[in-house]
Amino acid sequence: MNSDLVTTILTISGLTVSRNGNRLLDNVSATVARGSITLLMGHNGAGKTVLMNCLHGLMAYDSGKIDAPPRAQQKMVFQKPIMLRRSARQQLKFLCPLLVDAKIEALLARADLIHRADTPARTLSGGEQQKLALIGALATHPDILFLDEPTAHLDFEATKSIESMIREAHDGGTSILMTSHNRAQAERLAQHVLLLDKGMLVESAPAPQFFSAPSHPLARHYLDHV
Amino acid sequence: MDILSPLQIALSLLVSFEPELMGIIGLSLGVSLTAVGISLVIGLPLGALLAAYRFPGRGAIIVISNTFLGMPPVVVGLVIYLLVSRAGPFGFLGILYTPAAMMLAQTILVLPIAIALSRQVFEALNAEYAPLFRSIGLSQFRWIASLVSEARISLITIGLACFGRAISEVGAVMIVGGNIRHSTRVMTTSIAQATSMGELALAVALGIVLLLVALIVNILTQIVRGRLQDHGYEL
Repeated sequence: MNSDLVTTILTISGLTVSRNGNRLLDNVSATVARGSITLLMGHNGAGKTVLMNCLHGLMAYDSGKIDAPPRAQQKMVFQKPIMLRRSARQQLKFLCPLLVDAKIEALLARADLIHRADTPARTLSGGEQQKLALIGALATHPDILFLDEPTAHLDFEATKSIESMIREAHDGGTSILMTSHNRAQAERLAQHVLLLDKGMLVESAPAPQFFSAPSHPLARHYLDHV
Repeated sequence: MDILSPLQIALSLLVSFEPELMGIIGLSLGVSLTAVGISLVIGLPLGALLAAYRFPGRGAIIVISNTFLGMPPVVVGLVIYLLVSRAGPFGFLGILYTPAAMMLAQTILVLPIAIALSRQVFEALNAEYAPLFRSIGLSQFRWIASLVSEARISLITIGLACFGRAISEVGAVMIVGGNIRHSTRVMTTSIAQATSMGELALAVALGIVLLLVALIVNILTQIVRGRLQDHGYEL
């Protein structure tokens, strides 16, 4: 077996995306190690969400190549969780139609949402919605989980809870690629960091090295401002 | 003219459940509700399909549907008359001057409304849900079914708009139904005929019923919408 397949879950080669004359991603090449938590960082408009959408197959790209697990083995949680006009329990059943009721209840309990199971999903708090989306994504044990700023706008308690679920998923063998603006959070979670700037990958480094001694001037500048 | 006299007669006809009047009301509701039902069953999935997918012929369906949206009812009635009359291509069905032809006419008038309004609703919903649906790999069938399910509150309003158009229609059902007493006479055609014959009491009675039907349907719709909104299932 090719050793790259064992150690790498995601390979991006020369990915370029343009829309309306603007280059959103410019020849991005990177790898994500299997079983790792990789943080995708960068200022607003750097191309983080565009890259994630391309990797998950939600957005077409102009050129380049992506080697990723099949769609069925990928899951994505959006920055603003997309909630149906249904109860929390029904939302979870929609996300995981093959799960039996007992498993649904167990998942709700695991996310501490059992008391909110019959509440309309759209009226849950931001943290509760994110937890619901996360347990729905993790229920089928995906190979890779894409998280687009999963704790943006959440309070400390909700953030702590989401981070704990992320670590649990990682311990269970799921590779995680997530975007974040939060340096403290990135330092808590990341094993590897990819830094995008204006659509270009300017740094790819193990987290300790990225935070202590970034090699690229733009990375140093970025860290000075987050 | 003294309008109170026909009003009093109209009310007495209504409260006494006068059989012919009840027959006309029943037929009107039956024909219109059936036409609305058929239009929603066809129009809602089609509206969702048009909103969610790009496919060959999509533009043509939208153009045809929008054209029918502004089609004068008498023209629809005339076309159906030509199609289902004895010499027409569908004359063998033998439905001219029957409630079936009236349902067909109302369906053709109402279907474009169901398609146009639902497409509008589904386009907004699809923009919201497409990333999630694509992410979890929903099949085309489940995608459409989910959109229809998520739009349920708006669909009540669409159904109401369709019913309003159907129940108030007179030109097409007059042509294809023939306004035959005890057979194809509905509220609107009766009002037209009664007015022209000077039977104002019957015309007013039917007018009151039409208003009451509109009022009741609106009240029920508001109650359902209110309940759903109270429970957080707002659009």
